[in-house]
Amino acid sequence: MSRLARIASPSRLPLLAALAFLAAFVLLPLGGLAAATVFGPDGFTLEAWRALAEDQNALTQLSASLQLGLAATTVSLLLGGLHAWVTIGRDLPGGAWLGPLGIAPLVVPPIFVAMGFADLASVSGFWPCALLLGVAHAPFVAVLAARGLRSVDGRAYEAAWLLRGRPRAERWLLRAIAPELLAGCLLAFLFTLADHGVPEFLTVKGKTWHTYAEGLFSRWSRRAVGTTFAELQSPITAALPFVAGLGCLLWAALRLRAAAPDRGVVRPLPLRPLGAWRWPALLAPAVYLAAGIGLPVFVLVRWVLGSAQRLEPMSLHYAQQSFHKAMDQGLPDLLHSLWLALGVAVFVVLLALPLARASARRWPVLDLLCALPAAIPAILLGIALVRSFHDEALLRRLGGDFYAGWGFALCGYAARFLPFAALTLSAQVRRQSIAAEEAGALVRRSPVTRALRLHLPPLLPATWTAGVLVFVLALRELDLAVVLPAANATAVRRLANAVHFQHEDWSGVIALLLLSLAVLLPLLPSLLAGRRLASLS
Amino acid sequence: MNQSVAVHDLSLPRGAFRLGPLSFTVPAGGRLAVVGPSGSGKTTLLRCLAGLERIAAGTIRIGDRLVADAHTHVPPDRRGLGLVFQDGALWPQMTALQHLRFAAPGLSRDAAQQLLHRAGLAAHANDKPATMSGGEAQRLGLCRALAPAPGVLLLDEPLRSVDVHQRDGLVLLLRTLADERNLTTILVTHDRDEALALATDLVVLRDGQLVEQGPARQLLRQPATAFTAAFLLGAACLPTTAASGDRLATPFGEFARPAGVDGDLRLVLLPGDVQLTGSGTTPTGRILTVLPGERGLRVRLALGDQIVETTADDPPPIGAEVALALCGTPRFLPWQQGSAS
Repeated sequence: MSRLARIASPSRLPLLAALAFLAAFVLLPLGGLAAATVFGPDGFTLEAWRALAEDQNALTQLSASLQLGLAATTVSLLLGGLHAWVTIGRDLPGGAWLGPLGIAPLVVPPIFVAMGFADLASVSGFWPCALLLGVAHAPFVAVLAARGLRSVDGRAYEAAWLLRGRPRAERWLLRAIAPELLAGCLLAFLFTLADHGVPEFLTVKGKTWHTYAEGLFSRWSRRAVGTTFAELQSPITAALPFVAGLGCLLWAALRLRAAAPDRGVVRPLPLRPLGAWRWPALLAPAVYLAAGIGLPVFVLVRWVLGSAQRLEPMSLHYAQQSFHKAMDQGLPDLLHSLWLALGVAVFVVLLALPLARASARRWPVLDLLCALPAAIPAILLGIALVRSFHDEALLRRLGGDFYAGWGFALCGYAARFLPFAALTLSAQVRRQSIAAEEAGALVRRSPVTRALRLHLPPLLPATWTAGVLVFVLALRELDLAVVLPAANATAVRRLANAVHFQHEDWSGVIALLLLSLAVLLPLLPSLLAGRRLASLS
Repeated sequence: MNQSVAVHDLSLPRGAFRLGPLSFTVPAGGRLAVVGPSGSGKTTLLRCLAGLERIAAGTIRIGDRLVADAHTHVPPDRRGLGLVFQDGALWPQMTALQHLRFAAPGLSRDAAQQLLHRAGLAAHANDKPATMSGGEAQRLGLCRALAPAPGVLLLDEPLRSVDVHQRDGLVLLLRTLADERNLTTILVTHDRDEALALATDLVVLRDGQLVEQGPARQLLRQPATAFTAAFLLGAACLPTTAASGDRLATPFGEFARPAGVDGDLRLVLLPGDVQLTGSGTTPTGRILTVLPGERGLRVRLALGDQIVETTADDPPPIGAEVALALCGTPRFLPWQQGSAS
């Protein structure tokens, strides 16, 4: 068989298709931005880069983003880390169900958290914004820390306890889950830096400073009003080294987590008593869950009952009216969101499976390529996609209506969320027995049969988890929805606008329905097959 | 149908380690064990035979067919081999029956049940590996390897993950099934007893190089190297130095160098080659264990960094230093082939 025939054999088609997608929707758009730097009017000169480095506006925004990222990550670490620490393997009252609930706030879009807080208090300064984003991204820390605590071998903890006493054993445990904590913090940091929607939302509440992601979008949106090419390019091109650095960090953290030794069959941690803190410690999950999901839902319910329509009293009758209005005005957006999120989840899983196998077994560098979109502010990825598929004449001609259609939104979202599925699955593939796969290689079956019967079944739980994660993230995505034309009609995008026009009543209904959808899919296995909710994390 | 296996000048570099060049032949229906300490390249050799590794040089033939050389690599599933992995390497999502029917698509359900029955797994036909003991999992691994009726059966330390009580049963099963089919069998192991229980011919490996090969009985009776004597017979191999004239200095005194043998020779002490003496100053050994034996008590002693074994009726207590003396004619052997010229 010739080399070309081997490369193009049917068993490799899924991988080739995934690589083609990665090239078209990640490397090409970002490469296009990089090329604009090199071949722009100023060329790739030191002076041009010095001018970018001295752009005070960009530097101020970058600094604001980094400060916001650090502050919000600290809040995420405190809330999420503490939640996992007191609920997993502890004698906290109700810990058995409070622990798995750590994943619940992940279904709430950050913009809902912002709307909830903004409804009850003034959130116009730096610290309130950091608190909001910290709350919104705390689930990343909570989920990964819980996962770390569940995978620690209880016997190793007991050995540390016997040798050095309880306090030292606790410190040992903290060190043991450090990779997971680091990965969670990095995800929270990246999502904060990348978030354009929440800081932008707060601008209308009187915020006087801007983040880097906001700067990117505001420059981009001024394209049509006489901004020079250099001005337009500067924040975008200057973002690239920043993006590459973040990509490397994300990759390092996730690899660190994936490279944690396969602990195989481990004994769970022994129940560690909280002592006098047993009841006071309930405050940690209470605050975490109240801020992350309780408060936004409370505010949304108040909106549905008519709290924002100050001339009307809050009532169930008003809620009925809100529901009817929502069905009239918001249902198409909700369905659009649902189908888009489902489509993205399925598409991403199909792409991620061959990529994950290839990165785990042959080319680890694929992890880095896959991780890149997660490190980019979504707004920048959106701009890069628009530049490639709309502004570039050749691609526009080739693409035809693709740019304005549902398929383009699907591909854009898939590029954004591919890292989460690909990295989750590649970590799982690394845990699978290579010897069992080799045993399969000795069997005279077609590669497709081997893939379906041997390789895929052990990955199914992780595939489901990855699909659910992508579904939830796609459902709550706001930044890409702002830039990609076909995603403008998603529910989250419409909701972010609707509240500016005193449509809180029916927006609340749509938001609650959106949350219900986001909760329903993760709950399905528990409802149908009795699978534990904790397995999602 | 059983097939012969012929390996000629097989070579595979792996960084600082290099396997081979190795040459050996196993006739159709033959039983070969490749033995050696950990890291000697046994499993790598087996993986080369199975097609899971590409060889750099040399040839592998199965029957009349060339399956591997520097340019040829027949994929594992087209070599007609069965492989039993060290730790089972079973497929966690499949039941025992599904394992067999996936491995051999043409195998009828009855035939699969029959094979499981032969292996004592009839009650586990619908069980998944997670619910099986180490011994049961390894029996299933054997059934899976035999299901497609391979021409050659490869075994990678099949008893390693099996507890002591189940070993004999598994050895018996392996022998019975291999005998019934007159299967060509190649086993790799670091366990002498496992090798001798399952094979009639041996290849001894050390650091990727062939030390010695031949019928097991011959190697046991008359090892040509000190390494083989140490590995197969549990011999202590004491270093020697050149003394005046054509003599060799050992801890037991000076002896004449055997005629026609030069280079690095070792004084090989098989169990029973030394005895405890009440007096004397050199050499002395420290008693490590005393166990009941067929003729008196078996005593194991540390002599320098070597362990020697002898028997005694009333040995001193464990930990005591005792003087040792040689019984009979001392035996000198080169450490391995090529170390003597």
